[in-house]
Amino acid sequence: MRRASRGGDESGTGAPRQNGVSGARGGARGAAADRGDTVAGGDDDEAGCSPADMQDEDNDPARRREIRSKYRDLINSVQQNREDMLSPTNNKLTDVLEEANKLFAEVRQAREAALDAQLLVLATDLGKEKASQLHAEGSAFDPAAFAEHLLSFMGLNRLEEEDVEGGASGGYLPQDAWQRVANRAQRCFRTAPSFHYMMGSFLAELPPPRQRVERQRKVPGKEAKRIMPTQLKRMEESHQEATEKEVERILGYLRSYFFDDPTSPISYYEFVIDPTSFSRSVENIFHTSFLVRDGLAKMYLDNHKLPCIAPVEEGEVEAGGASNRQQCVISISPKSWKELIEAFDITEPLIHAPSTQHTE
Amino acid sequence: MSQRKRASNTQSSQNKGVRSQRWEAVLGDDEDDPSFTQPSTSQVQKGLDRLTPAQVDLKTAEVVQFIFVKDQKKFPIRRADIVKHVVKEYRNIYPEIIKRVGCVFETVFGLKLVEIDSKNHVYILINKLEQLEGESLNMSPSNPKTGLLFVILSIVFMKGGVVKESMVWNTLKKLRVDQGERHEIFGDVKKVVTDEFVRQRYLEYVRIPHTEPLEFEFRWGQRADMEVSKVKLLEFIGQLHEQDPQSWTQQYREATAPPAAPAVVTSANTSASVSQR
Repeated sequence: MRRASRGGDESGTGAPRQNGVSGARGGARGAAADRGDTVAGGDDDEAGCSPADMQDEDNDPARRREIRSKYRDLINSVQQNREDMLSPTNNKLTDVLEEANKLFAEVRQAREAALDAQLLVLATDLGKEKASQLHAEGSAFDPAAFAEHLLSFMGLNRLEEEDVEGGASGGYLPQDAWQRVANRAQRCFRTAPSFHYMMGSFLAELPPPRQRVERQRKVPGKEAKRIMPTQLKRMEESHQEATEKEVERILGYLRSYFFDDPTSPISYYEFVIDPTSFSRSVENIFHTSFLVRDGLAKMYLDNHKLPCIAPVEEGEVEAGGASNRQQCVISISPKSWKELIEAFDITEPLIHAPSTQHTE
Repeated sequence: MSQRKRASNTQSSQNKGVRSQRWEAVLGDDEDDPSFTQPSTSQVQKGLDRLTPAQVDLKTAEVVQFIFVKDQKKFPIRRADIVKHVVKEYRNIYPEIIKRVGCVFETVFGLKLVEIDSKNHVYILINKLEQLEGESLNMSPSNPKTGLLFVILSIVFMKGGVVKESMVWNTLKKLRVDQGERHEIFGDVKKVVTDEFVRQRYLEYVRIPHTEPLEFEFRWGQRADMEVSKVKLLEFIGQLHEQDPQSWTQQYREATAPPAAPAVVTSANTSASVSQR
């Protein structure tokens, strides 16, 4: 069966039309319904043309292509010049339809008819638009004009040159363009204000620390009972008593060193300095000072003007005797402590650290 | 979502049988939510009798706060969520609670709680009061998205209420807003317009049947119908065009037509009217 017959039937009945528009529409509808293999906006391959058809002018591929190309031109012109065609001041739409009519007379194949149908869809759409403009009392509303007015409202700085791309106004749109529109447009809305805390909300981090603190308090509470007995033991070693104990202990060391060799003087620094611990050295100085204060030890300068310490015999010192009592202040820093260690070549402490650890 | 609800609707109405028919006769209400069925008037009264006024007030306050927070994004609030998260065991007096909630919104905050979908039971909050000239509502600058929304709503309204999406996109393109490109302010514009605005019920994005390729059209959403003053919209459009708003006679007529009564949640129209203790 010749494919031409499909198109041929339509064009046979439709060639002389009563009113151009409806006739074309009817023809296109029939052709569109018939089409089995075509797609609008077709390609150029001529599938399935039998050699016998080539001779027929109706099936001349060049002619077919020409028709289709003209249709596509029409379609493009309608799409590009849509705004123009909508304008009630001209009849461009009618011109397009008349062109289509003429082309349709030569349509033989479904592919071309499909293009005709596509053109018609566009044209009727425009026609509907134009009709709505006519029927509406009062002004028509043109979205393009609306957009232009909006741009002006937004504060567009229009350039001197004419339109940039596709009819759009060129120019610089300020940063707050949409903000301006929004501020003015907001008045049209009865929006409920969004709920937000005025001063912001509390940071979510606060509650957890409180819980942690509470837990810490709770835990000692449970263990408090258990700790009590050990604490009671340590109660015996109060600060004051601890100091006294320490002072006594140091006195013990002093006496034992002295009685080991009564003739050899004990260098004060060698006695108090603990080369392994600065803080211990300071403690020793502190405790030793009590010995001197209480008259249990005496300090003097030897031949080399270096301080020495020696225990005092009982009875040697008159109780409350002011004579020969002098005061001095000893200070020591980590630096001088190191210097003393080097100078006196102190390798180990003369006052050994106490065996039990003091808890501070 | 609507399809799922429909299926459950048929199921629940089959199972409930005579009892549901009696309830429906009393309340005229659909039982589309199988997890929550509207209690009858007598049930509500019984429920109230068992509770102290303080308890009911507290529950009312909780619902009010819940709705406020949920409203921040302007997505509608579902009755199912209110019942599940706040009302809970007080669900037997739900009609009374929601009635009081509506009153609180109106009298204390000047807002209206509106049920925009009586089938799916979904609420929105709108402002009862008109904005005065020269006064900004929150004393803070508006969201730029309001500007975008305004443009779309205007186009739809001025074009008779329905517009093909292509027209909207073409107009927006002139305003340097392209659905294919990431916008400096709006980001994914297509998503904002077809998803966010639609979920907020400002717009409806509906498929046009029998179109090939697929085409959609825009209409005003239920929230827009409630929130937007067409008269004020027309005023602004007139200002932009330097035209008298009345020159668009059809639109002006529509804008000044008396509005349809919205389903505001007040004591006047809540189905279960219960005697107060």
